Amino acid sequence: MFAIKTVNLRKEYKDIVAVKDLNLEIEEGELFSLLGVNGAGKTTTIKMLSTLTSPTSGDAFIYDYSILKDQEKIKELIDISMQETAIARKLTVDENIEFYAELSGMKKDEIKEIKEYIYNSFNLDRVKNKQASKLSGGWQRKLSIALALVTKPKILFLDEPTLGLDVIARRELWKTIKELKKNMTIILTTHYMEEAEALSDRIGIMKDGVLLFVGTKEELYTKTKKDNIEDAFINIVSGGDLDE
Amino acid sequence: MNNSVSRIITLTKRNIKEILRDPLSLIFTIALPLFMEILFYFIFHELTAQFEMKYLAPGIVVFSESFLTLFTGLLISLDRKSSFLTRLYVSKAKSYEFIFSYALSILPIALIQSILFFLVGGIFDTSMFSVGMVLGILLSILTSMFFIGTGILFGSICSEKSIGGISSIIITGESVLSGMWFPLEGIGNGMIAFMNALPFRNATILIQNMILGVNDTFNDLLLPLIIVLGYTVVMFIVAIIAFKNRMKEK
Repeated sequence: MFAIKTVNLRKEYKDIVAVKDLNLEIEEGELFSLLGVNGAGKTTTIKMLSTLTSPTSGDAFIYDYSILKDQEKIKELIDISMQETAIARKLTVDENIEFYAELSGMKKDEIKEIKEYIYNSFNLDRVKNKQASKLSGGWQRKLSIALALVTKPKILFLDEPTLGLDVIARRELWKTIKELKKNMTIILTTHYMEEAEALSDRIGIMKDGVLLFVGTKEELYTKTKKDNIEDAFINIVSGGDLDE
Repeated sequence: MNNSVSRIITLTKRNIKEILRDPLSLIFTIALPLFMEILFYFIFHELTAQFEMKYLAPGIVVFSESFLTLFTGLLISLDRKSSFLTRLYVSKAKSYEFIFSYALSILPIALIQSILFFLVGGIFDTSMFSVGMVLGILLSILTSMFFIGTGILFGSICSEKSIGGISSIIITGESVLSGMWFPLEGIGNGMIAFMNALPFRNATILIQNMILGVNDTFNDLLLPLIIVLGYTVVMFIVAIIAFKNRMKEK
């Protein structure tokens, strides 16, 4: 069963075509990574799928709901963690979680339950009374991602989740994402090849708005005749021109 | 409770917490105007009638409201900068719920400003304690909406770095064009007409007249009220359009 299906999805900004007629299917329960250099169209794709921006043409379906017609239904199924840390700065960690839970219409006992879940999944209980603006970058990013889980989405979009994190914080977050993978479909964009390699069931590689490759990492290695993801990625985006 | 009302309350609660935990904003909106009210009264009230409390306090009330533009704009632009608003846009909350919540969370500050500056004024001029003061406080809520709407507009279209600069236009505009800091005798008719066409002087006159008394209902009350209301409605319509467009294309 597919969780996401795009049909000739296209986004144009004035003279730039950010996403060119994207056709893609992502299975339920899959962790799908979108790789690409800057300006490849990864974030634009995620924004269209999460109803944040409208496509110029084409459509996409989230569990049969169209992003053009069924935005309210889709909002009940998805959540997103943006590239930038998106938290209420002056609220404590606990207040941030409570705020998102209240906003999604949860009752008091549900809020208590979701807090427990978030604290256990992200080890945030040790900083729960700290104001978000006073947390380190790593903790802020963790909180930002954790907030996307408050609504218990069936599909989670993670846009560059580990951008700017140190290696320890990044590995901790990988561990958390692997745990989340058991319960939901995750679409992740990243610049870090090793991140896609460690976490993904399948990988999509985009360049200039075009999806150049979709498949497992093994299929990627076979196609490019490379034995590591960075070389394979470079082979795909450069058309073989930058191979050593 | 209706879902929309419940979301507005949740958003408003969050905004109020953010505001109360930022002491700098309270200094600008309350401490600075209060200091100016007392200072200007003591320095000038014996020199010119303009600085008698019955003129000065209502003027300070409206002047302090101009800082709400800066304040509201900063709150929204910072939310935009951190993608906080973008994330919320994936929630079920609608644009008008965000706008309502921003306005509702700033209104208590406007009310505190008004009550405080009138009460302080009343300490120096006890004749101010009257029904007029109550009406002045109530009408000042309305005049504050113009500045809040302007803040929502600026916050929707400007970065947090440019909010200070663009809001200072409103603060300076209010300060100069309200006519509260200098006598209007000797100023050209063209300039007076310009001032009368803008909301700043009308807002000040409207609140002052609640204390001084209304002799001519149309000119002293209705005309300035209609002008301020008109600007407020237009400002909110433009702000809502700008907010919706900005969020949709984030």
